[in-house]
Amino acid sequence: MIRLRSLLKLYDGRPILRGLDLQVDAGEFVFLTGPSGAGKTTLLKMLYGAERPTEGEVWVAHRRVDALKHRELPMLRRKIGVIFQDFKLLSHRTVLENITFVLRFHGLSSREAHKRAYQVLRRLGLHHRQSALPEVLSGGEQQRVAIARALAYQPRLILADEPTGNLDADLAAELLSLLCDINYQGATVIVATHDHSLLEALPARTLVLGHGRIEYDGSWPP
Amino acid sequence: MMGHAFAEGWALLRRRWLTSFSLALGLAVPLALAALTAAVAQWSRPLVHQNEERLTVPVLLHPRMDERQRKEWIMTQKKEHPDWEIREVPPETLSKRLVLWFPYLQDFFEGEEGAELAPLVEIRAPDPEELKVLDSSPAVIATGPTSSVHRILGRMAGETAFLMALICGIQLFVAILMAGVWTHLEIYRHADEISIMRLVGATEMAIRSPLVIAAVIPGFMAGIMGAVGANFLVLQVGRVVGNLGLGVPQFSPLMMLVLVLVGPVLPGIAAIFTLARHARHENSS
Repeated sequence: MIRLRSLLKLYDGRPILRGLDLQVDAGEFVFLTGPSGAGKTTLLKMLYGAERPTEGEVWVAHRRVDALKHRELPMLRRKIGVIFQDFKLLSHRTVLENITFVLRFHGLSSREAHKRAYQVLRRLGLHHRQSALPEVLSGGEQQRVAIARALAYQPRLILADEPTGNLDADLAAELLSLLCDINYQGATVIVATHDHSLLEALPARTLVLGHGRIEYDGSWPP
Repeated sequence: MMGHAFAEGWALLRRRWLTSFSLALGLAVPLALAALTAAVAQWSRPLVHQNEERLTVPVLLHPRMDERQRKEWIMTQKKEHPDWEIREVPPETLSKRLVLWFPYLQDFFEGEEGAELAPLVEIRAPDPEELKVLDSSPAVIATGPTSSVHRILGRMAGETAFLMALICGIQLFVAILMAGVWTHLEIYRHADEISIMRLVGATEMAIRSPLVIAAVIPGFMAGIMGAVGANFLVLQVGRVVGNLGLGVPQFSPLMMLVLVLVGPVLPGIAAIFTLARHARHENSS
């Protein structure tokens, strides 16, 4: 599903990632951890084409992302569900509309989009907040809306950047269980986190990023 | 997808209805004036064409010039101004004409001594104003009028039409610029939304369509308002001109259709251009 070859990323001449090689197979559940500034978010951004590497190759779903033209990126991004660290919700739209507008891009009719959005909100326990604007929601609720949006179109790859950052322990466990369910259904899941309790809660492949390289690749704890 | 884009564009318009209405009005005024200009230009075309007509100007030569000198002078003028048609008027033709205008001169011309008339030539030129150079020539006593009332009217009509077209052109340009600025502001107002749309897989088409539609709808309204306004203006001008006993300018249904079509096209082009520039800027950064 994902293959990185000799990945180098420089910011103002300073290396963030240096010579990274990685392979993630379809259906895997992977934790990406490391200290702040280790390059976790940068790596995820490269996977959905928001950043381009300085050198090296990024392959996702048999497509070389770093060589894609701008007009080809939407097709790639429709295969990827991204849960952003800062949620990236549309402030002028209700919870339901935040999900339906993405589904409309995927070619669903208005009725189908509403139906699917409601289902996913119900699954995340947010259906009673469907008409609320994001600004009136708590951080945890906003996070769940962002997750609902990423899951709504059933992508084959889910990238989550600190998805439990705004959730309490119970909600974090619930989210992890949800991501596990999606993973059992065949989706590849990559979760970037520095929350070690999350790593301990689920035995999964863990990648530790440090000094621009993968310092550890295996089960947690090392 | 188009239905979605239309719904989004309409929602955008509703949120900014006052700005959208101002945009429509700002575009309707120059459109109406442009249509009025076209109607007036069409109406004044025969008058304008009179400006292009060649005019025959009589030129009175010095009476002491003998035939050889006259021929030489005519040859020189033909050489210097190949587009002039120069015709010498024989004295008997000139005397006949004068008798026709002033019958009491008949005796004067038919007397025993006769009258020696100054030689007259008639010059037909594409631009009769050029003949004014002859005024300073020692061989020429006088030149006739180099402008006729028709020519003056035709020139005035042409210059008025040009001035109106210029004003309309400037106003249309300002209106297009306004549509571009409006789109630009909307892009910045929705910059976060647009970047989120890109991140979740929206194509450029899906991002741009609502904004283009939000610019095209006021343009369509402007086209209709412009057509109604132009019709009113042409009727008013017609009333004034009709009172002077002249033909009345017409506002054709074809022109109305053109206005309704041009209305949405102009802001649409401005929006597409602005969005393309924004996308290029985004891609490069």
